[in-house]
This record gives sequence, C-alpha cells and structure tokens, in this order.
Amino acid sequence: MENIITISNLTVREALSRKIIITFFAISTFVIIIFALLFSLVTFEDFSGMVNANGKDPINLASEIVKGLKLFVVAPLFGGGLFLAIFSASSFIPNMLEKGTVDLLISKPISRAQIILGKFIGGVLIVLINIAYLIIILWFLIGIKFGIWDTDFLYSILTITFTFSALYSLIILIGILTQSSVLAMMLSYLIFFVLSPILAARETIAAFLKSSLMESVMDILYYIIPKTSELGTLTSEIALGYSIDEFQPIISTSLFLILVLYISIIIFSKKDY
Amino acid sequence: MDSAIQISNLTKVFKGRGLGKNGLKALDDVSFELEQGIIFGLLGPNGAGKTTLIKILLGIVFPTSGSAEIQGEDIANYKVRKKIGYLPENHKFPNYLTGEDVIVYYAKLNGFNIDKNSPRISEILQLVKMDKWRKTKIKKYSKGMLQRLGLAQAIIHNPEIIFLDEPTDGVDPIGRKEIRDILVELKKKGKSIFINSHLLSEVELVSDKVAILDKGKLVKFGTVDELTIDKQICEIKTEVEINDDQFEILRSIFEVQRNKNILTLSINSNSDLNNFMDELRKLSINITNVNQKRTSLEDLFINSLSNS
Repeated sequence: MENIITISNLTVREALSRKIIITFFAISTFVIIIFALLFSLVTFEDFSGMVNANGKDPINLASEIVKGLKLFVVAPLFGGGLFLAIFSASSFIPNMLEKGTVDLLISKPISRAQIILGKFIGGVLIVLINIAYLIIILWFLIGIKFGIWDTDFLYSILTITFTFSALYSLIILIGILTQSSVLAMMLSYLIFFVLSPILAARETIAAFLKSSLMESVMDILYYIIPKTSELGTLTSEIALGYSIDEFQPIISTSLFLILVLYISIIIFSKKDY
Repeated sequence: MDSAIQISNLTKVFKGRGLGKNGLKALDDVSFELEQGIIFGLLGPNGAGKTTLIKILLGIVFPTSGSAEIQGEDIANYKVRKKIGYLPENHKFPNYLTGEDVIVYYAKLNGFNIDKNSPRISEILQLVKMDKWRKTKIKKYSKGMLQRLGLAQAIIHNPEIIFLDEPTDGVDPIGRKEIRDILVELKKKGKSIFINSHLLSEVELVSDKVAILDKGKLVKFGTVDELTIDKQICEIKTEVEINDDQFEILRSIFEVQRNKNILTLSINSNSDLNNFMDELRKLSINITNVNQKRTSLEDLFINSLSNS
C-alpha cells in the first residue's frame, strides 16, 4: 500500500507541476471569487427579481434560486472540468514509460500492478481535489447566503470524479499500448463529446435509420462504452436534489473502469521495457 | 563465499514486429555466477546484450528461457529488488523535483521510509558531493550532477547489490575518480557492484571479475588477473644488460628476445621458465625481477571480439 501511496503522491506532484492543472485551480478560484462578490453585492430581493417569483413563498423561492445556481456551476464544471482533467492526465502514462524513467521505476521493489494503481489513484485524486475545492467552497457560500445546507450538491464531486476515473482508465490503457498521450486524449474526447451523447440518443437515431443492424451495433457500443453523457445528466439531477432512478449507467461504467484497469495491469505486467 | 548473482542459461529473443520478421536473439544461453562483495565489469560492444542482461536481472525485461537468482531468490519475485540499487544509463528523474526530493522518492519506493530531514540524505548527498545543490530543482542540474544524484538514489537504501549502467557517463575526470573511490568503499562494506561500461580502463581499475558479451554470447568470464595475465610470456629483468655471446647461447635453446636488460621469454610450461633461470645462473647472470606479461583489458576485449 505504501508503494501505491508514494506513486500517487508523485502523480499529484506531477499534475501540480503542469500549467493546465494550475489553470484549472485558477479558474475554480476565479469562479469562487465571482460567487463571493455576487453574494456580497446582490441581496436576496435582487435575486428574487431575477427569477419569476409568481407569489412563491421565500423558502421555495430561495430553493429555486439555489437550484439555478447549482446547475449554473455543475453543468459547465462537468464539461469544462473534465476537458481540462483529460488534457492534463493524458501524458501521465506516456511520461512514465519514457526510457530512463520506466526502467528505474520497475527496478524498485514494487509490483507493476502497484505502479498502475498508484498512477490511477494519483490522477483521480488530483481531479477530486480540484472539483471538491470548487464545489465545497461554493456549497459553503450558498449555505451562508441562502441558509440552504442540503448536501445533494456535494455528491456531484463524486459523480464528476467517477466519470473522470472511467475515462482515465482508458487513458492508462491507451498510454500503455501506444505510449501516445495525443491518441489517449483524442479517444477520451471522442467518447466524452461524441460517442456517449450519440449512444445516449441511440433509440431516437435508430428510429430514423430504420436499420436493425445499426440498432444492434449501437446497443452493443452503448453497453461497452462508459456512459459519460448519462453521468452528466445524473450529476445535474443529483445536484438539484433528485433521486437516482436508474443505476445502469453507474454499474456499466464501473464495470468498464474495472475491466479496462485490469487489462492495463495485465498488459503492463507482461511487457518488456 | 555466498553467491550474489546466479545466472543459468539465460536466453532472450525479442520478437520481430510485422509479418515475416525474425526475432532478435539478444542473449544466448548465458550462465555465470558472481560471489558477494566483488566489483564485476560487464563488457561488450554496442548491441552485445549487456543492457538486456541487466534489465532481466532487474525485472524490466522478461527472459525467454533460463533463470536467475539474486542472493538465492528468484528474480521473478519483485520483492528481491529491495536488495538492489540501480543506476540506469540516460536516467530521467521528474524534473519538477529537487535533488533531495528525488532521493526521498526513490528511497520510499525501495521501502526505505525517510524524510527530507533524515541524516541519511545528508550523508549520501555529501558522499556524492551533491549536498550543496540538494534544494535545487534538478532541471538545473548538469549531466554530471544528474549522474551523481543517480548514484545517490541507487545506494540510499543501503542495497546489497548495485547495478550501474555507464556510471561515469558525463562525469569529469576528477568526478570519475571520486565515483571509483565510492565504489571501492562500497566493496569494502561487502556490497557487490555490477558495472556496465564502455570505459575499459576504468572497469580494469576497479573490477575483480569481468565478463565479455558479444552477440548475446558470453565469450570471456573470469577475474581480471586470470584474463589479462598471459601465462605464455614472461619478462625477466637482469641486473646488467647481457652481452651478445650470452644472448646467442640463450637464443639457441629458448625462444627469447632482448631489450636492454629485459628478456622476453615464450614458454610452454613452468619447467621451461625454471630451465631458463638455470641457464642464466650458469652464465652468471643475476635476475632482479620475473613477471608474467599482462595484456590490457582493452587488448583482451578486442582479441575476444575478433575471435568470437
């Protein structure tokens, strides 16, 4: 376990040495400052004027305003935050596999599985810290301003980090297979921005295509590929306090994560460097 | 003496890429054993299989067949590497770390839990003359400084066996001498040192045993003395230069050459040498020194490769 922690720590330090992660933190800090200024300058009555109050009582009104604010944060954070996180994490494995680095690492009394798990945990940890930093402080500011302290908003930290971890497992596998950060990044973006949204709407698309073959192909792909699109929707719903009705996207994405990470470990454990 | 490294019939074939491509046999049935507490030099031209052999022993490359043990434990068990320190050729440390960060990180990976304030860090950085730069980011280090730091990370956890791949690469002559002195000190402490270097004169200066690999095969293995002393040639130094008459008598009996007061004698056995000495005494020639001729490691290396 100590070996995994040591490698995780170094992965976090590697991430912190990158400008992209610092940019991520800077953007988060900027958003926090904007919210703090907004809350200190704009009164509850001003907020009420911005929404259609329609004679709602102040508690319901505050709740509506808070939901709007949460959605305003979570939706861009899911897309933008994961975009930056994938960009930053895509080079962790190719950098580690460079000659002169990987041989030194493998020559230490660590199993190759521990190396991969350390890299995985470190990468996930840095994203978790970043997301948690933004969400927890905003949750605190919203709580102070509106007196609403429901913890639903905080669960979005977990769903965003979980979505990243599924994509990061794929980044690790592609990194081991090809040592290419660009390919790993492109494939992750392809799933995140293109394939998953398309496959989430596969039933509508299939109705247009009227092809049973395409329908089957899309069904297979849907259950294989991590469901980042559904997880995005789920994140927004959780933040707004809705309960989870369907666990299938979480379960199938978890299976994807475990399987891909396992394959990565197997391949890494058999390769000569 | 206990065995530090035991290698049995190690063979490594790298698979060819693409259809119809043949594999590359990097190591071909290599076997030898090294005892604990010696400095061992592994020599060979580029592509001889030296780095492959080291990488197999360190678990970086897997053997196609054969086996190896480190202090009696199979190299397949990664925990055996706790006993090993390794300085790879062209190593790359994370350049966002300082010198002391690098040492702490690799010490921890070796299961040696220390922090930056540990006296062991100061001790080891002083040993490699890097204490002054311990808080400097390594991206500012020169090649020689990185090499010294590399040596420090290889020995921080007090390993029993130290593998050094081109340890003096990029280091100035004074630094090389210092590294050699460190190696000799480590040997005195009972450590085994496995050096892979192109600098034959340096290997000759510190090594107890050497092996020469060529095209994946072990072509020479033995102590430096065994390999470099030419038992067939003796140099005999006489008190005064022998005259032509004396030389003619000797030459009529032995295969001998003269150069001032040094006689170079070719012998087939020790009795030839004894007979020659008797003859010198009969001629009232006093002997001041007898030496078996030594060839340099470089000559041995070149001869071994041309013969293999």
